[in-house]
Parts: sequence; structure tokens; C-alpha cells
Amino acid sequence: MPGFIEGMMPVQLLAEILLIIVIFVLGAMILDKKMGIRIPMLLQAALVFIAGWWYYKFRIEPPLPFSVRAIYQVMIAIGIFMWVSSAEKGWTEFKRPILAVLDAKTPLTWWVRAVLLVVLPLSASGMAYKNLLPSLGEPIELRTVHPAPPAAVTVHGKKFPLQTSESPVRVDESGEYSNHIQDAHVMDNPFDPDSIQYMQNVKEGGDIFFQNCHFCHGDNLNGRGLYAYAFNPIPANFTDPGTLAQLQETFVFWRVAKGGPGLPREGFPWASAMPPWEQHLTTEEIWKVILFEYWHTKYPPRTWDE
Amino acid sequence: MGAVGGNTTMMTDHAWWRSRRVILIGLALGLCTLLMSAPWLVSVAPGQEEEEEGEQLPAGFVDGELPAEPTPEQLENGKKVYFSKCVWCHGVEGAGDGPGADRLWPRPRNFIQGTFKVRHTFSGELPLLEDLFQTVTHGLPGSAMPPWDGILNEQQRRDVVAFIAFVLIQDRAFDDDEFEYVTKLELDTLEPIPTSPESLEQGKAVFDRLRCAECHGQEGRGDGNPFNLKDDWGFAIQPADFSKCWNFRGSRQDPYNVRNIFRTFSTGLNGTPMPSFADQTTIDERWHLSNFVNSLCERDDEGNPMKIDPLTDKPAITFVVRSGFLEEGATIPDDPQDPAWEAREQRFIGMAGQIIHKSRNFVNKIDNIFVRSLYDDNDIAFLFEWNDRSQSIKPDDLEAVMPEETPPSGDPIAGKIRAYGPFNDAIAIQFPTDWANLTPPEKPRFIHGDSKNSVDLWKWESDNTIKAYTGTGALEPLVEREASSAGLQVVFSEYKDGKWTLMVKRSLAAENEGDVEFVPGEYIPTVFFAWEGHNGDYGIRMAISTFYSTILEPQIPASVAWYAIFIGIGIVIVEVWVLTGRRNRAQGKAV
Repeated sequence: MPGFIEGMMPVQLLAEILLIIVIFVLGAMILDKKMGIRIPMLLQAALVFIAGWWYYKFRIEPPLPFSVRAIYQVMIAIGIFMWVSSAEKGWTEFKRPILAVLDAKTPLTWWVRAVLLVVLPLSASGMAYKNLLPSLGEPIELRTVHPAPPAAVTVHGKKFPLQTSESPVRVDESGEYSNHIQDAHVMDNPFDPDSIQYMQNVKEGGDIFFQNCHFCHGDNLNGRGLYAYAFNPIPANFTDPGTLAQLQETFVFWRVAKGGPGLPREGFPWASAMPPWEQHLTTEEIWKVILFEYWHTKYPPRTWDE
Repeated sequence: MGAVGGNTTMMTDHAWWRSRRVILIGLALGLCTLLMSAPWLVSVAPGQEEEEEGEQLPAGFVDGELPAEPTPEQLENGKKVYFSKCVWCHGVEGAGDGPGADRLWPRPRNFIQGTFKVRHTFSGELPLLEDLFQTVTHGLPGSAMPPWDGILNEQQRRDVVAFIAFVLIQDRAFDDDEFEYVTKLELDTLEPIPTSPESLEQGKAVFDRLRCAECHGQEGRGDGNPFNLKDDWGFAIQPADFSKCWNFRGSRQDPYNVRNIFRTFSTGLNGTPMPSFADQTTIDERWHLSNFVNSLCERDDEGNPMKIDPLTDKPAITFVVRSGFLEEGATIPDDPQDPAWEAREQRFIGMAGQIIHKSRNFVNKIDNIFVRSLYDDNDIAFLFEWNDRSQSIKPDDLEAVMPEETPPSGDPIAGKIRAYGPFNDAIAIQFPTDWANLTPPEKPRFIHGDSKNSVDLWKWESDNTIKAYTGTGALEPLVEREASSAGLQVVFSEYKDGKWTLMVKRSLAAENEGDVEFVPGEYIPTVFFAWEGHNGDYGIRMAISTFYSTILEPQIPASVAWYAIFIGIGIVIVEVWVLTGRRNRAQGKAV
């Protein structure tokens, strides 16, 4: 199976499911019309159901929890039911083997019915027993990933109102704050000594990132650093459109400066391994490393008018 | 940095590296003549020597070809990738001295000499471009080099490899057909010998004959010669720990595949003390050795390879430690080899360097521990097992101090491997003192609690003392509770062949002020800490885990069985109802 391209998984999954359906429909049609092999309706329905179960269980990474897959399977079952009952002919064909087993008129159907009558209650009570056992799995704890920020943060004795503060290092050639300076320079070489002030700030931010942050957030800022595996959940993936791209630069400034201990209760401050970076970096260094993170991921910071 | 920066701009001009390479080739020629006159150095490249004398190549190797020169577009594109993704660690000139380099262990590769570890070519030779491509694709597990597959597309990865090979490598040249040879290990055409007790026995014989234990240790935990090995650049390095195959740099994200071991054993690791053993072994012997080394890698409770998490390339982690109940009246066995302990599930606990508060531990040496737990009517015991390449016990006349945090640059950590201590090796387990009164999911902060919620922390040190401390914050001192320390019992402790085994026992009940209480069936938040005394680990300069939950497995209530029986009976009733309905309908129709 091919791997998933980062950021493209939903599209990839939809395309694959579509492909599977097309193969299935075409395959059944060719078998029926060209080769004269008719797959019984009940078997077709069972195949679709099992294929759906298999796909959701083994294809999707990280794995879906059982409860989510159960919902999908119920929807697949409803879909199958609508499909087989849409035409009288198909419906009769679908029912026939089931009714034959219930009536048990031949030795084969008699045996199938006998086995089912015994196996069904036994497996149901067995499954019930298994499910009722204390699970002893990981406790499920749902934290708020981007909790509401405070109105202002005080870093190194200076107060920064989050609504009005601007990054002092996101500057154009004239030294003024510029919202668009990044767009023109995402492909620049940060190690070019003749580069503009903005790119020099990016480079200095990169130096800080690769001396402090990549251990957890990774060399590609994708949350897969050297130490990431030890933490739960693993560190934030900045290449994901749900993190940096969704946030104002000042929000990120608050998160970096105050770290895990600065989170409100719903953000689980006790469990975050994010250091309060004001203990290690100057205010300007914090702004620079944020500048670098936006530059490297190519996402523009979200602005208030958006 | 001025001169370095100057080169960067010049690199935009292709003629620059071409002209510079002519000079370098000249230098290399001179150097080679010099080297040839020194007979003791001939053994550096046995492949070349044999070829010149018309002798046979080592088994499994064939003559290969030097790679074709890349196009200027490839180099330009590769340079773009390099200066976006790679330069931060590998540096502007590829000397392995980027801004991130000095806090990394192992250090980033210095490309200038063309020395690479993971190859299909014979010892001393340049790698295949495919080898470099696979390294970029799969990363080097156990180091900071990540897999770039899925981030850079195949063309970008091939282009950046071309840029490294033809621009950054300066002391040698891939297209130098006068001085470079390609002797290729034909791994694809060789079939591994399936593992078996006989194969493992023969592999062990090869392991003993070639004295692998001198570096890698008797049990292969990398503890044979932990402090005296250096790489070609003079940086201290340590031998591989075979029990953690997921950290093998050459594992190619497939750590239990014996082909990787076969390759490393056949080609050696250039730039390190690990030689090629191809001249001294037959192919069959190499497969037996590979099977044996692979057998030393950690397995799960059923003896299968550990499940590797594709997101992290480390064993998948379950964040729960389940403590098993012994039969009523039975007591926890003192011997870790006891069947009751052996049958108990072993939990992999991932450990990271504490890089949150000063003094930060950027060079973490304990990257995982294993934990099991049992409880009986009165006590709970934890069995800790973790690998440590050296037994560190602080001498009495040495004062232990937390080393200063290493400065960001100009001070390569890798060279400082024995600079501190030794302090005591140590391990600690921590629970919230008052977990029962905290509403889940609230907890004290994971490093030593906080001022609002304190923690009960048990720390064992390699002088075989165990103490109970109260923690109220990472930056606050731990306060010992002596009465509680007396309640902690070290049942078993041993350092053997690169591994610590420690069993600690305490009463379930909280007998003293500040003790945590253990209640079956409840999730008790748990954090682990570890210290490697030869690494300067002391105080909060340590290895840390994240939150786990300890749960004492409760006995199964009888109601569970009753519910299951009721459900079975319910299904039988439904069956009877359906069949009766069907029969009545059939009879009705018949009538």
C-alpha cells in the first residue's frame, strides 16, 4: 500500500474508496455479463460489508477507534440494505438464501441452521463478557489544543496585548512591520549574507530553532523530532494546516513564551512538555523563532481581519 | 563566519566549485602518493589492493561503476533543498557544523571527506548514490536525521544527494575513475539463511571468534568499550546496542530485517572503529551472525518483534502500566526470573532528555526503560530494567553538582563524553501524593509536581539507596521524607552486561505522611525519571518520560458473567421467536 502524502490524506482516501467502488461494480458487471458468473446478491452484500470493515481497520493510519468504525459500518449496512432492496428482483434474490436456512428444507440448510442457532448465542455472550471486563486501557483524556488566549502576556517585564502587538522582526526593507514580506522570500537562501533584514531574522530564528526546538518539533517542523516518541500526544506538527496557519503570530508568542505551565486548565498544563521559553530566550529571540517557523512552513500568520 | 558566508554567494556560480575541485583533486593526488608510500596504510583499502593484484573480491561483492555526473539543473535544485532543509545541522559547507550541530549526539555528518557509514560498497570506498538516497529517504534512527520521505519528493531527494556528492564532498570525487573504485555488495541476489537454533549457535561462534564483545559487550548492549572509541574526526562515539535495533542507523525503518545487519557487517562503517568482516567470513557465516545479532534485539511478551510506531520509528507505546494481582495469600517473588514476573507484561517506557528547565540534558543516554509490576494483599512491587553502557557509582570524595548547560556553539558535546562525574546512576518513579482527590484529568505537573499539587517520588541510586521525596516543582528542591524512605524496600538490584535490573517494593497503604496510596482499579498518574552517572546526569539534568497510568488490575466482578449469560439467553429467545414466526407463516401459506 502506498503511504499518505502529508496534508493530502482525505483526498487520497476519497480517491481510493471511489476506485474500489468502481473496480467492484465493473468487476461484478464483467463477471455477470461477459463471463456469465453471477455472484449471489447476499455474497455481494457480505463482500461490500467486509471490504469496508477491512479498509477502515487496516488502511487508515493512525488507526480509527472501534466506536468510530462501528458508526461507519452501520452506515455501510444501511447503504447495502438500500441497494439490495431498491429492486424487487434483487431483494428476492438477497432474501432467498436467508429464508432457505430458516426453513431448513434440505440437509445442508438444516445443518447450517443448527450450527447458527448454537453459535449465535454463544458468540454473543462471549463478546458481551469480553466487553464487560474492565478494559484497563489508556484513560481517554481530551484536551483543548488551542485554548483561548489571555488578553495580554507579560514577558521579561514588558506587557504585550495580544490583539495589538506586532512582531518586531517581521519587517520590510524600510524596517516597518510588513504582513506580506514573507510571500516574496519563502524560496530565499537564509544563509545568503547579502539578504535583507527579514531574511537575516529568519536565519537567526532558524539557528535558535535548531539549537532548542527541533528535538521535539522535528527537523521539518512536523512534530517528529528525536524526543517526540516519548511524549503523549506527540509534539505539535507545524506543517499541519491546523496549527500555525490557524493562529495569529501573537498567539504563538504567548504559547512559546509561557509554554506548558502557562496553559489554562483545559489545555492540560500539567502534561505539556513545552518549556516556558522566556526562561531560555530573549523576547526578540522568541519573535525570531516564530518568524522562522512561519517562513519554513510557508504559511502566513493569521491576521485579525481574516 | 564571514568567509563561510562569502562562499555561499559564490556557490551560485557553477564555475566556482569546478575550479575549486581541480585544486582539490591535485591536493588529493599528492596526498594519495604520500599515503601509498606508507605501507601501514595500504590496509585502509583492501578492496583496491586486491583488485590491483588480480585477486578475488570478498565474497558477495562485485565490481560496480562510478555514478554519472548530474546535470547543472539537478545541482541547482539540490542546492535549494540543501539550503532549506539540511544546512541547519550539516552547515553551509557541509562540514557537519550547522547551527544545530553542537547540541547533537551523534553529530551531523561532515560531508567534506566523503566518509559515510551506511553503504553497499567495500570498506573505505565512497557510497553508492543510492545509499545516500536511502539514508535521506529513511533517515538515521537513533540520531536527529529524520526520514525525508513524504516531505521531499523523490526528485528532490535525488537532487540533494547529487549536490552533496558532487559539490559538498571535496576531498574525493565520485567521477574520479583513477582513484575511486566501486566494489558493490550484491545484497539483492543473496538469500538470508532462515533463523534456527543451529544458525544462532553458529552466529554466536562467529561473534566470539571475531571478538565482537570487546566493543559491543557480552550480551551486545554496547557496553564493551563505551568510552574509548572515536570517529575519524576525533569525536567520541559509542558501540551499537544490539538490543535496540530500532536505533540502528542503517535499519532503513525495518529494524528486524537481517539484511541490514548483513550489510553493516560486510561493509563496515567508514569513519568509525567498526571494520568490514567480509574478508574473514563466508557469506553463510555472515547470515548466521546476522541472525544471532537480530536475536539479541528486544522482543515483545510473545517473543515477536516489537511493534514499531510508523510515526516515530520507535516501539509503539501504551501509556498504561498494569500491575498484576497474585493469588490471595501469595507474596511477590523476590527473584526477577520467577515465573510470576516472567509472565507479567513488560511495558516499554520512552525516555527523552530533560530539555525544559535548566540545566538541560541535550545528550540523553537512557532512551527507554522497561517496567513490570505485581501486587499482593499488602504490597506493590515494580521491576525496572534499563540499559546503561556503564555502571556509574559516585566516588565518596567527589561532590556531585549539576553541570552547567552546554553553550550553544563552539563546544562540541560529543567530545565531552567523560567530562563529568561519574555521578550515581539512578531511576525514579513519581505519583501525585493526593491523586484520589484530583478530578481527572487534572494532575500535578509531570516534572516533580507543582506548588498546588505535590508528588511522591521514589528515587533509587546506584549506591543502592532508595529514598522517598516530596516534589513541589521542577525548580524546587526535592524534600526527603525519612520515615517514608524506610518504608521503601530494594528487593533486588544488579548491574550486569550493560543492564540494570531493580525491584522496588512498598506497602499498598499510605503508612506515612506524604505517601501515595494504591487502590485497585484506579488510574494512578505515573512518571519515570532516569540518570546516567557518566553523562553528567544529576538533579533535573536527567531523562524523563511523560505521564503513564499505573492501574492495579481489579478482580473480575461476578456480575460480568451474569450479564453475559443473560445476553446469551436473550438471543436464544429471539431465535425461537423468529423460527416460530416463520413456521406459522409457512403453515398459514400452505393452508
